[in-house]
Amino acid sequence: MDEARIDDFEDMFENAPCAYITLLPNGRIQRVNKTLLGWIGHTAEHMGGKRFSDFLNMAGRIYFETHIAPLLRMQGSYDEFAIDMVTAAGEPLQMIANAREGRDAAGKALFTRLALIKATDRRRYERELLQARDVAKTNLESERETSELREQFIAVLGHDLRNPLASISAGARILGREAKSDKEHQVIAMLETTVLRMAGLIDNVLDFARGRLGGGIALDRNASKLLEPVLHQVIDELRLASPGRLIEAEYAIDVPVDCDRSRIGQLVSNLVGNALSHGSSNEPVRVRAVTEDGLFRLSVANDGEPIPEAAMAKLFEPFFRGEVRASRQGLGLGLHIAAQIAKAHEGRLTVSSTREETCFTFVMPLRQRSQDHVRHEHQS
Amino acid sequence: MSAIERNNVHLGGSGGRSMIFAHGFGCDQNMWRFVEPAFASEFKTVLFDHVGAGGSDLKAYDKEKYSSLTGYADDVVEIGRELGLADAVFVGHSVSSMIGVLAAQKAPGMFGKLVLVGPSPRYIDDGDYFGGFTEKQIDELLQFLDSNHMGWSVQMAPAIMGNPDRPELGQELTNSFCRTDPDIAKAFARVTFKSDNRADLGKVDVPTLILQCSDDIIASRPVGEFVNRAIPNSEIVFLEATGHCPNLSAPDEVVAAMRSFV
Repeated sequence: MDEARIDDFEDMFENAPCAYITLLPNGRIQRVNKTLLGWIGHTAEHMGGKRFSDFLNMAGRIYFETHIAPLLRMQGSYDEFAIDMVTAAGEPLQMIANAREGRDAAGKALFTRLALIKATDRRRYERELLQARDVAKTNLESERETSELREQFIAVLGHDLRNPLASISAGARILGREAKSDKEHQVIAMLETTVLRMAGLIDNVLDFARGRLGGGIALDRNASKLLEPVLHQVIDELRLASPGRLIEAEYAIDVPVDCDRSRIGQLVSNLVGNALSHGSSNEPVRVRAVTEDGLFRLSVANDGEPIPEAAMAKLFEPFFRGEVRASRQGLGLGLHIAAQIAKAHEGRLTVSSTREETCFTFVMPLRQRSQDHVRHEHQS
Repeated sequence: MSAIERNNVHLGGSGGRSMIFAHGFGCDQNMWRFVEPAFASEFKTVLFDHVGAGGSDLKAYDKEKYSSLTGYADDVVEIGRELGLADAVFVGHSVSSMIGVLAAQKAPGMFGKLVLVGPSPRYIDDGDYFGGFTEKQIDELLQFLDSNHMGWSVQMAPAIMGNPDRPELGQELTNSFCRTDPDIAKAFARVTFKSDNRADLGKVDVPTLILQCSDDIIASRPVGEFVNRAIPNSEIVFLEATGHCPNLSAPDEVVAAMRSFV
């Protein structure tokens, strides 16, 4: 081999680190460099005068004729296209190419020059990327379907559980009218407690499923109706269902609260239910609902062991269940739903827990919703 | 949306009759840039992009409709109706030759003459019929289009960036012509190379000119001769031009042959 010389242009062409091909306007090969001959395994004599497409695989031929050749004619150059040549041994020679057309003054094509680099690894990598993308797409699709099915199942299950529960509730009421002994009354009271608790659980499951299905917690706000009677009713029911437990309630609701009253009822029910489960059984649960400083504030407090530090962070996450005796074990959705209801009202549910007291507080802004709306409309 | 908007129709020229140009697979209406001006003084000229190509409305792409050449022919007829074309010259390149053959059947009277540049009624060999390709080779092509996404992505840069209203972002494009949506192009390739319109050729009842290139590997001479035999009132002109796109590589020869025909 001759010694390499830095200013040898013949060498720069022949042994360039890329392949060169010059084509005549009729698509036939005028010249190729040694680099290409080395890659492809043909002689210069064999390639000269043949069509460039003769050295492409069939796909490459069609692609060249339908895409590259017309583009070259129109814009004079075409960069970064993939093209597969075929070696003398019949192996694919995968390449990336740039092409330029040489033209006369009138714009007529005189020749086309191609510079090609081997791109076997790169092409494989690109193919793998494409495959990975397709796999990811498929997986995501099936994952989405599964989770949707699961949540739909929960929604249907929750719905179907309500009917038998309604029968049990009705049955207990009929029996209650005819009950004579204390024992009978006790059993029926227990039945009603369980029904109430179960109805609450089902509501939470349904809300949870609905939230996950994208519906979120829908509100039916109404500021013109009073909130207090709803709170009364919820707490009375809880009292009835929890014989032997004291629930103290204090109301100071002086201005209308623009909220979904049954949702707030559900929130209170969930918080009081939680306090009854976790609080000390010989101390009262204290409920306080007030309007002050432009806020509606509702707190539910109980005595007993404080909530462990570790549990505080997860308290409002779905399916979080604290340490509690098995009979009182819920799904772990009550606080999560309560927090979601708070959020839907643009409010917040917070908790403080000390040796003295554990207190959940819901705060929401009291806003003149309808008036805001009217003012906004006037502005716009 | 009208077909005129959907297919990015451009009108030019003036004269008593109309000439409509349909581009082939892999390109858009730009491929007629050297031919159309030659007829603009005698004809009203109509250029358009098939849905999926060039400046067409990609949202109008309907898998079902465009799963056969009939869908594309319907578009041509719609454009013709909106423009009130009658006795017009239809000039179709490559796959659009067959689209023209179908359109002429669907709308009698709309086209008075057909010019078919590099036509092929079927690309895949079938018994005694020579199409030039085996089934396997066509499948290979379709696979190659799948993997040649680099070329595609360069072409589609403006669409990917989603800034059609900021054309300056497209200036750095390597290729400003013949942009194609890659997915649609793949589907179009499938429809094109798997089509079989041999039975439609005999139904052509208007004078037809076939322009046959030398050395065209997509639509070779025996295919052009088959088309010539099958279309009753047809003549074939063998061009010296090589390759598959004489309208770009040898426009003068194409124009001369067309002129003596129309």
